[in-house]
Amino acid sequence: MVNDPIHQFRIHPILGPWNVFGQEIAFTNSNLFMGIIVLVVVGFLLLASNKKALVPGRLQSVGEMWYNLVHNMVENVLGHEGAPFFPLVFSLFSFVLVANMLGMFPYFFTVTSHVIVTASLAVFVVGLVVVVGIYKHGLGWFKLFVPSGVPLAILPLISLIEFISFLSRPISLGLRLFGNMLAGHIVLKVFAGFVVSLVALGIGGAIGSIAPLFMAVALTALEFLVAFLQAFVFAILTCVYLNDALHTHH
Amino acid sequence: MARSVDPKAGKDETDPKLGDISARLHDLDSRLAAEKKQTAQAEKSSTQYQGATDYSKGYRLVSEFVAGILVGAAVGYGLDYVFHTLPLFLITFLLVGFGAGMVNMSRAANRTPPSAEELAKMPKPHDDEDEDK
Repeated sequence: MVNDPIHQFRIHPILGPWNVFGQEIAFTNSNLFMGIIVLVVVGFLLLASNKKALVPGRLQSVGEMWYNLVHNMVENVLGHEGAPFFPLVFSLFSFVLVANMLGMFPYFFTVTSHVIVTASLAVFVVGLVVVVGIYKHGLGWFKLFVPSGVPLAILPLISLIEFISFLSRPISLGLRLFGNMLAGHIVLKVFAGFVVSLVALGIGGAIGSIAPLFMAVALTALEFLVAFLQAFVFAILTCVYLNDALHTHH
Repeated sequence: MARSVDPKAGKDETDPKLGDISARLHDLDSRLAAEKKQTAQAEKSSTQYQGATDYSKGYRLVSEFVAGILVGAAVGYGLDYVFHTLPLFLITFLLVGFGAGMVNMSRAANRTPPSAEELAKMPKPHDDEDEDK
């Protein structure tokens, strides 16, 4: 009961459920942390850009690194045409990054460990890709599903595969982030639970508990890496998909 | 080496040789530096694309593959649900989804979006299209 590894993902209402048009809507701990994330991102960047020193201080240089990372990513993948999408990619990256990092604090809720959150972000990204693609190329954008140079005989099959491949994008984008965060936090909790139950066994268990304790410490470091990497991967795949929409052909 | 062989010759005799060697060394150094810079740049940009570690690369490939199969199964099951032909479309689209997962994976591994690559190599997607239609 004490170390139930799933317990940390439970959503509970903070401000009681209201009835809005027959739908129960509550302000949950997930909502609270989303708000905190936005506050942290905005607050940090405001603080970092507060001084605007020519030679950046510590805080400002972190802010600049943050900005430059995403800026380089957008420039590299999308080119100059991608400039209008920089704010979007930056927001997505910052949100996911801070969500993952805040999740690493004990007793904090990890927003990105719920598939509904990551799937919403992913579906939004791929929806945007469709909209931008059709806006830029008109109906010609659908040639994405009809690769050139394919014999007519197998074209239907290839188109079908391409179509399903496209549909799988939001799934893989959302599932990857969700899966990484969920699995990481569960594994951490399980190893931490081993320590507790081994110590409860007695003196022999207490000595044996050093192994899972060491593991938990190592995993914490790995989880910080994963938290950053997954935010990065999410952002870069957003760029790659947007690139598909911008430069489909010609 | 040169110093121990002719210690009294001093600068005059060894200068052209040494100068030659040092010039060549200098040349090599600068070329090495340029090369290093280039590879570092290439590496930097490529690792930036790759998402930094093998762990995330591997995870990415797996998720691409699984997503293809999941979507195939979901589409197949949805069609079956609509047409009441339960195993037919599920099996078909599971296989197609498998193919899509493979395509996804090879694409993720190749890193370059295929449309851009094909575009660069084949300048005649238009002709093909027009002929077919």
